[in-house]
Amino acid sequence: MPLSGFYFPPGSARQTEAILHLTDDGEYLEVRDGGGAILARAPRPQILVTSRLGGLRRKLEFPDGALFETADNDGVDALVKDHSGALARLERSWRLAAMSLLAIAACTVLFILYGVPAIAAWLAEETPPSVARAMTDHTLKVMDTQLLGPTALPSARQQQVRNRFETIAGWEDRGAGRYTLLLRNAPHVGPNAFALPDGRIVVTDQLVLMAKSDAELDGVLAHEMAHVNHAHGLRSVYQASLVPAAIAFVTGDASQFAQMTVILPAILLQSAYSRKFEQQADDDAAALQRRHGEDPAALAGFLERMELKTCGKAGCAPSWLGSHPATAARAARLRRAPAP
Amino acid sequence: MDTRPLAPPQAPAAPVHNSMRFEGSAGEYFKIWIVNIALTIVTLGIFSAWAKVRSRRYFYGNTYIGTHAFDYHAAPIRILIGRAIASAFLLAYFSTAAIAPRFIGFWYLLFLAALPWLIKSSLRFAARNTSYRNVRFDFHGTYWGACKAFILWQMLATITLFLALPFAHRARDYYNINNHSFGQIAFKAVIPVGKLYKIYLAGLALMFGALIVAALPYGLLTGVRAQGALWSLTVGLSSLVAIVAVLGVPTFIAAKTFNLALNKTSLGDNYRFESELSPGRLTWIVLSNALLTIATLGLLHPWARVRRARYMAGCISVIGQADADAFQSMPMPAGNAIGEEVASFFDIDFGL
Repeated sequence: MPLSGFYFPPGSARQTEAILHLTDDGEYLEVRDGGGAILARAPRPQILVTSRLGGLRRKLEFPDGALFETADNDGVDALVKDHSGALARLERSWRLAAMSLLAIAACTVLFILYGVPAIAAWLAEETPPSVARAMTDHTLKVMDTQLLGPTALPSARQQQVRNRFETIAGWEDRGAGRYTLLLRNAPHVGPNAFALPDGRIVVTDQLVLMAKSDAELDGVLAHEMAHVNHAHGLRSVYQASLVPAAIAFVTGDASQFAQMTVILPAILLQSAYSRKFEQQADDDAAALQRRHGEDPAALAGFLERMELKTCGKAGCAPSWLGSHPATAARAARLRRAPAP
Repeated sequence: MDTRPLAPPQAPAAPVHNSMRFEGSAGEYFKIWIVNIALTIVTLGIFSAWAKVRSRRYFYGNTYIGTHAFDYHAAPIRILIGRAIASAFLLAYFSTAAIAPRFIGFWYLLFLAALPWLIKSSLRFAARNTSYRNVRFDFHGTYWGACKAFILWQMLATITLFLALPFAHRARDYYNINNHSFGQIAFKAVIPVGKLYKIYLAGLALMFGALIVAALPYGLLTGVRAQGALWSLTVGLSSLVAIVAVLGVPTFIAAKTFNLALNKTSLGDNYRFESELSPGRLTWIVLSNALLTIATLGLLHPWARVRRARYMAGCISVIGQADADAFQSMPMPAGNAIGEEVASFFDIDFGL
């Protein structure tokens, strides 16, 4: 069955109406004009056929650069029997499109729930300590120049805090050498404490001044040490970059527009991941304190006082936005923490 | 199937007005797009290069002038290699930022030095892999040419407090258009810089006008100590005017300068071009496309692309003898995909 279409000579835009057919021996494809003269002829395997795509016209390129173009897609498929027809069939079916959509949605959800945390944890595990140290040096330098000053606590109080720190570090399974305490005065940050990737833990003077008992301070320190144990710092860094990286890789597009559309979901996701880390750190801290005869309820009370101070009676932003779970929920969970 | 020959034999000299048309459909493209994304995920990203080529082929292959459409020929494997190299550079950059931020300047210098090469090779790759009626396009721009057009002119425009911006714009257009050829016939643009000044001034005036309108209610209403619903409405409207202006004025300038460049472009002795993009309509399409795409979590992305392509094509015409038979091309190597991939990864915009 001959196919009708256009013939173009090698490298030329001059078109002729022509027909394409398979020779009787089945070996060659031939292009003939209206008068029956042969315009092009080549063995079938030597002819490059464009793959089928939507309703686009198919092009058959002969070895010498001559071109035959036809809209008869089914005819070409019957003549050349290549594999591209299969993909085009997938792309034509609405049912398959719907299934793809569901599969993509499922993959996205699974990737976010399990893939990202798992990959980030693996990367954090594989990160050499020297890299974690360099990252911490850099972060600390930036914070020291912009937000933090040297501690202004009386040296006796400093020593008390250090003693508590050494005690808690001694309770940890992984040995006291993993953690370093840094005391900093931070009037603009207020009462806060954070764990850095290589095990250094910053505690602000403002937090120390708010603590009414050793148990409260111990809770905070144990919480930050749990962050160090689980490498939460490194994992957050990796989690923050994995989602945009995956989108850039799938779409091949790291452009500003693509980033604009993912930035809000990315922030929400990041907060969700971070809330999970906080909960884990609370649980670990509570368990550690219970094992050594302290009451985790002290930390719960401390968190409630901190919220009252920073956000007033109305409470802080809703929990689905924040990097920490709602304080009331955290406090309740700490008080419920099971005895060892 | 339409088998009429493109050339009317009786009137070889009469200039013919051929509008570009986009004949793809959103439904058809949606299926292609979604199936290709699924395949990309299944193959852990490998298929993305094939998906990109298929999507480009769909858009080129549905863009018609007269009875024929364009064609895109890039080999996916080269795009995959380019993408891998771009990712490696991105990774190295972020690693440096995390571990040794002191050395980040090295990457900026390297990027600046590579930029003209990226622009040159990506334009060449795109041109050489595009054809119309069996004749390929080509691009002859050089590294030094891109250096002048994209870096030196831009620096000059900045030093002169943007007084020379239209000159920089023209340098980019000239680099882009005058280095392209269809087969062996060259494109040639001659753009009067005075008209570019007019467009930029009009854009500036629009921006100022809009910002004054947006700020006006504050001046009028603060005096009477406004509050409540009226005040909220005013603030809302003002912000809307400001947002539309900030997003719309660049589109206005882009549409107007695109029209100007194309209207002043010819191909050989027998062909010239016409473009009549409407700045208002284009702004509306770009803004509503973005909003609808975000609101539907990306599901309307194929529809938005088709809508924009259809509008753009409908605004562009080729004027000249319809007989395109005279065009010839020489066989040539396909150019370098690394440049194009790295460039599109880092979102470098070439203006056209």
